[in-house]
Amino acid sequence: MDLGDPDEALLARVGEGDPAAVRALVARKLPRVLALAGRMLGDPAEAEDVAQETFVRAWKQARDWRPGVAKFDTWLHRVALNLCYDRLRRRREVATETPPELVDEGPAPDRGLQARDVGLRVASAMRGLPDRQREAVSLCHYQELSNIEAAALMGVSVDALESLLARGRRALRAALSDMVEN
Amino acid sequence: MTRERFEDLAEIYGGDIARWPAAERDAAALLMAAEPEFAKAALAAPADLDAVLDAWAPMAVSHQLREAVIAAAPSARPARGGVRGWFWRAGLGAGLAAACAAGLVVGVRLSDVVVQQDDTVSAVLSGYDDLSDVVIGEGA
Repeated sequence: MDLGDPDEALLARVGEGDPAAVRALVARKLPRVLALAGRMLGDPAEAEDVAQETFVRAWKQARDWRPGVAKFDTWLHRVALNLCYDRLRRRREVATETPPELVDEGPAPDRGLQARDVGLRVASAMRGLPDRQREAVSLCHYQELSNIEAAALMGVSVDALESLLARGRRALRAALSDMVEN
Repeated sequence: MTRERFEDLAEIYGGDIARWPAAERDAAALLMAAEPEFAKAALAAPADLDAVLDAWAPMAVSHQLREAVIAAAPSARPARGGVRGWFWRAGLGAGLAAACAAGLVVGVRLSDVVVQQDDTVSAVLSGYDDLSDVVIGEGA
């Protein structure tokens, strides 16, 4: 198994305060963190907050990062996921008091299914998944992590991850059945 | 790889075997080569779902967010600059100057001792026990 961390050298330079390394690491990781938070939370403003907070923690770690303990990308995903779960928990607590406003995300009758509409439908279907299934699909399909990385991040076995993925994808197929051809 | 396992993997990881677990890809490729019609049918529905899922584009990173993240990053440890640096450099300069001055004083004093010692040595070598006995100009 390859234990090399492709981000290690860059992170060391970040720890030394190299501005070029900071920009390079942000270019490499911020889109991934934001995408994950966006898919987990379904709320752009909250996703941006999570991404920013994730990097605040990353910068604190940069000077003291111990190579070989964990891959930086995996650690970054873990931090972002924890922050997402904090917000989802708070949201559930609030939801018991204030039911969320329901938005019709079906296609507008006069314009058919545009790509943006499909995206909105998928977002809605993802939001409908249980958190752990949504996390599994986000990590494996959208973040393109390996099954071993995703299982380790979620603290489950590969078998358990596969079960979550299979159930998640089945639920998505059912929710999006009018758009899936086969 | 069995057909059942192939179908399970397609259901779990989708219609692109590049996204399947690394340990299973070679066996899957062999099955695809051996049974292309079966593989095509097994991958079709998962691939369609993948395509629909991919229509949900990731959020774009705004300029504001990027700059806020960069602004919070650690900066280089400051070189000794500014007022503190000036005092530090001034202190170093003063220290060096004091050391030079002290060296000069010690050197001058040492040279006096050496000159006196040189005179004593000359007197001993020339056969006099005490320079005070020497009377300049007195004949033998």
